[in-house]
Amino acid sequence: MALDMLVVDDSPVTRKMVRRAIGLCGLEIGQVHEAGDGAEALARLAEHRVDMVLADINMPVMNGMELVERMSGDPVLSRIPVIIVATPMSEQRIERLLDIGARAYLAKPFRPEALKDLVLEILGKGESHG
Amino acid sequence: MADPTPELLTDILGTVFQETAFMFVEPAEEPDQWDPTVFSATLAFESVRGGTLRLTAAVPVGVELAANMLGCDAADPEAVENGRAAISEVLNVIGGAFVTRYFGTKVPSQLGLPQAALEPRVAPAKRTAAASVRAESGDPILLELDLE
Repeated sequence: MALDMLVVDDSPVTRKMVRRAIGLCGLEIGQVHEAGDGAEALARLAEHRVDMVLADINMPVMNGMELVERMSGDPVLSRIPVIIVATPMSEQRIERLLDIGARAYLAKPFRPEALKDLVLEILGKGESHG
Repeated sequence: MADPTPELLTDILGTVFQETAFMFVEPAEEPDQWDPTVFSATLAFESVRGGTLRLTAAVPVGVELAANMLGCDAADPEAVENGRAAISEVLNVIGGAFVTRYFGTKVPSQLGLPQAALEPRVAPAKRTAAASVRAESGDPILLELDLE
C-alpha cells in the first residue's frame, strides 16, 4: 500500500529535499503534501488523510514541538506517527519530543536509507536487531 | 571553556556542505574583496553561552547548494530562485552541529530562525572565530562566530 505523507518545514528547499529523499528511499509513496509550519500542517491534516508526518522543529508561527503536542492531544491525529527531521539537538530536547508523542528523531543531514529504515521500523516492517 | 577554534568551524563547515549538498570545500585565505552582492545568513543561538553565526557565500555557491539539494542543474531557474533558501538551511544545520559539538548534547541549546539575504558583504562588528574556505569552483565561503 502506498504511503501518503506530510512534510512540514519552513524551508522550501528542505521540503523539496525531503520529498526527493522520500522518492529515492525505495518505499512505495502515494501523495506527499507540504506545510511551512505547524499551523499549516494542522490545516493540511484536516484536509487530507496521511500515514505519516515528517516535521522540522525550528519553525515560525507554530514550531514542531507544539505541532506534536497538538497532534498527541487529538484522538484522530494522535494515531499518525510523527518523525522529527531536524538539526542536531540536545538529548533533553529529543527525550522531551519522544515523551510528548513523536515516534522518532532523524538528524539533518540524513541519508535516504536512514529515513527508509525509520519508516519501516515505525510501520513494524523493519529488520529485527534484537 | 576555551573559545571555539577556527579548525572546529572549518570542520563543521566542510562536513555540513559535504553531507547536505555533496559539495567539497577546502581551507583558504579570507578574501580581501567580495563580489558586490553575496548571500549572507545569520543565526542566533542560546546555550551555555549565546551567540550568533554568520555565513557569507558568493552567489554561485548558493545556487550550487540549491541545485545539489534539489537534484537539479545549477542553470535551472529553480536552483537560482532557491539560492538564498539553501544558504539559510545550510546555516541552520551548521548551527545545530555547532551547538551540539561545542557545548555538547547534555545541555539545553536553542537555535533561532536563520535570516538570509542577497546583499553587499558587511563585516560583523566583532567575532570570536572564523573559518574561510573555497568551493571547488573557487568561490569563497566564510563562517563567522560571535560568542557573547
